Amino acid sequence: MRSGVLLRLYIAAVFVFVFAPIVTSMVFSVNSDRFPTVPLGHFTWDWYRTAFARPEVWTAIQNSLIVAACAATLSTLIGFATAYTDYRYGFRFKTAYLALALLPPTIPVVIMGLAMLAWLGRLGLSGTLTGIVIAHTVMAAPFAMAICRLRLNQMDAALEPAAWNLGATQWRAMRAVVIPFCAPALVSAFCLTAAVSFDEFIVAWFVSGLNKTVPVMILEILQGNVDPQINAIGTLVFLTSMTLVIAAQLLIIRRSST
Amino acid sequence: MPSRTDVYKYVWRLPLILWQGLFFVVPLLLMVAMSFWLVRNYRMTPDFIFDNWERMLTRGYVWNAYEVTFLRATVAAALASLIAFPASFALAFRVSETTRRWAIFFLIVPFFTSYLVRVYAWQVLLAESGPINAVLGFAGLGPFTMLNSGFGAMVGYMTLVLPLVVILQTFSLAAIDKNLIEAAANLGAGAAQRLFNVIIPAAKVGLILGAVFAFILSFGDFVSPFYLGGSKPPTLSILIIDTTKSGQQWPRAAVVAVMMIVTLFVVAFAAVGAAYGRRNG
Amino acid sequence: MTAPLVRLEGVKKSYGDSVAVKGIDLAIGRGEFIAIMGPSGCGKTTTLRMLAGLETPTEGTVTIDGKVMNDVPVHARDTPLVWQSLALFPFLNVAQNVEFGLKMRGVPAKERRQKVATWLDRLGLSDFARRRVDQLSGGQRQRVALARSLVTEPPILLLDEPLSALDAHLVIRMQGVLTKLQRELGITFVYVTHSQSEAFAMADRVVIMGHGEIAQIGRPREIFRAPRNRFVAEFVGRNNILSGTVSGGAIDLGPITVPLPGAADGPAEIVVAADRMKISREAPAAPALAADFVSEEFAGTGIICYFEGPGGEELKAQVSEDELEALDPAPGARFYLTWAPESAHVMTGQS
Repeated sequence: MRSGVLLRLYIAAVFVFVFAPIVTSMVFSVNSDRFPTVPLGHFTWDWYRTAFARPEVWTAIQNSLIVAACAATLSTLIGFATAYTDYRYGFRFKTAYLALALLPPTIPVVIMGLAMLAWLGRLGLSGTLTGIVIAHTVMAAPFAMAICRLRLNQMDAALEPAAWNLGATQWRAMRAVVIPFCAPALVSAFCLTAAVSFDEFIVAWFVSGLNKTVPVMILEILQGNVDPQINAIGTLVFLTSMTLVIAAQLLIIRRSST
Repeated sequence: MPSRTDVYKYVWRLPLILWQGLFFVVPLLLMVAMSFWLVRNYRMTPDFIFDNWERMLTRGYVWNAYEVTFLRATVAAALASLIAFPASFALAFRVSETTRRWAIFFLIVPFFTSYLVRVYAWQVLLAESGPINAVLGFAGLGPFTMLNSGFGAMVGYMTLVLPLVVILQTFSLAAIDKNLIEAAANLGAGAAQRLFNVIIPAAKVGLILGAVFAFILSFGDFVSPFYLGGSKPPTLSILIIDTTKSGQQWPRAAVVAVMMIVTLFVVAFAAVGAAYGRRNG
Repeated sequence: MTAPLVRLEGVKKSYGDSVAVKGIDLAIGRGEFIAIMGPSGCGKTTTLRMLAGLETPTEGTVTIDGKVMNDVPVHARDTPLVWQSLALFPFLNVAQNVEFGLKMRGVPAKERRQKVATWLDRLGLSDFARRRVDQLSGGQRQRVALARSLVTEPPILLLDEPLSALDAHLVIRMQGVLTKLQRELGITFVYVTHSQSEAFAMADRVVIMGHGEIAQIGRPREIFRAPRNRFVAEFVGRNNILSGTVSGGAIDLGPITVPLPGAADGPAEIVVAADRMKISREAPAAPALAADFVSEEFAGTGIICYFEGPGGEELKAQVSEDELEALDPAPGARFYLTWAPESAHVMTGQS
């Protein structure tokens, strides 16, 4: 099967293209050259030292973590509630309801940024972390909804009625049956939406003002010049979001195979 | 008085309506409204005038930007679909299910992993004196100017959309009933005939969906055209950012935003029509 | 028989360590309706797929029309298959589905249209030509699959449990359609099924497969009356399998010895079909198996009575409704089972 070998090589090439920038960034973050090329310079932690000596980097990390945690919590709550509604109820205008639930990621982020800037400004939330949390929740909730919905799909439709039949109220059944069943998906949704928030920079850039998150800071450094500090900070960003996304996926793979 | 059941029901139903209503629908509507507002002395006043529309729609640079953006997004969608297809085909038909699952797993990761930093990495890689030109130099080629060009922007678009397109294509190809492909062979279809007469028609929805998402993402992207494409000519996203960030001309930016949303809506609608359209010949 | 159309010689198929087909020899004549039957996993579908070229034999040769087919790719053969799932193309309409094979072979458009029209008409599908296949009933879809396979006028048609998805009443009707088509076209049908009634109702010859081997080939009546071994006898069902020792034209079954003219001396297994068993309340003069009534089962053509024999074995006898009423058996009631010596068939094959 020569065509099989060729196609495998092709898959490998696609993966190389997809992962090249991530690997490059990591390699260059410990490479001494300011303008990296091959052959590489020598190994160094300098860029990390320089980057993390800057207090504003630490502030940005703190901001990012706060925003990601809050946005992920809100997104997961809204996402789960929406998924459960879709799973359990049929009603008029449900198509519109689902469109509302799934549409946000299809709107270009630049447009979201502009719209958010205008609206949050009127609410007096422009330039605050709260503003970024609100915007990120809008953008991330659909992903949480999708994960929870997939998990609910795996739930035996008779499970909840069985709990009622045994005397549980709706609230009790939710707490004793539905939420435990969805627990891995809820954690997964939290991780994924945290990653979405942690990586988002356009809308955050529009509405952040002085309260910059990590990617917003990267964006602003980038507008200056090539600076290997970005590789150091970028590697941190990569590792954080990759850990979150991998965790999010492992959580649902493990459970769905049982 | 709502019954207890109603309370329960609405506790789950309302969060989305309230949140996305207040922070998704309202901002977008406000933006549309804003495109009719009056700007004077760097101050916006709510109004209903067509000045912003008139100004933007009669300027050549807006239409140039529109053309560039639309063209690039179309090329990106086509290119991503073509580049992705052999990989998706191989993942769907030539590897074990376990390999396929892990491949999808690792393609999902970059999709949610800082696009901005990845684009920065390309900036370094593609630089005049960067690693790629250095390697080509050993082979006596180049150096090539890859940054600040359509090529650079295209590399960025592919970085953004390729994983997603491969995922969508692979899912739709892997979902084809294998019996259909065998049946086609049994009825005399060779490999190429099977590809064009069975595999592609059967996976049509996923293939179109992949192209549409590639179009949507590239059309709205700001990072690649700016950092890899050199922002000349500007795309609509760059136009929005420039207009917004350089003062109080938000209404003009809103005009561009509305143009973009309408375009995406039309494209998505046409694509869904093509994907699910009538199948009878 | 003239030169057979299909010949399988020493054909084996294994996947890694697991062997699906252990080595079979089979010749199928022109215009013959042959059914390959056996329990699931017996290798019948694999055998059919090797005929179509969807699997390549690990060993042995497949010859069709005098030509060795082992290395001929699927699409270069003219061995259309009617799939268990039907495998109709959902993105094509009825006429386009039927046209598919002609198009792949580069038949000119005008001729294609003509042939498609002919076959749609022949199978009563003309009114549905522009319909999508998911708008058809089960029986209609079945006929589309047939038309699609037959439109190239192949010398052979392969069918893989094509009726398994249909309702019982449609199965009978489609059996009629298939037999009629096969007679009219005079081509070879190779029909894989696990259903005895389908195989026995339609086929000229039946091939019984088990564990990747051919257990027996024969006309339906032969298979039913003279199974070669215990596997076939059990698979066909409604048989009493008794083992004993033959000496001097009689078999010693343990409790009784009954005449078995012409049988060779030594250990032997005999089969007595349920409908050849006689039941009586009183012990007859001839040697009879004493058995206790267990239950009865209505079987359409009669009633099968189940008994527990002297050694605890299950015995069956078929009676009419009137007979059953006359016997009026209660569970545990003692009966005597006898059969005419010529009704006993000695099984010669290994199981």
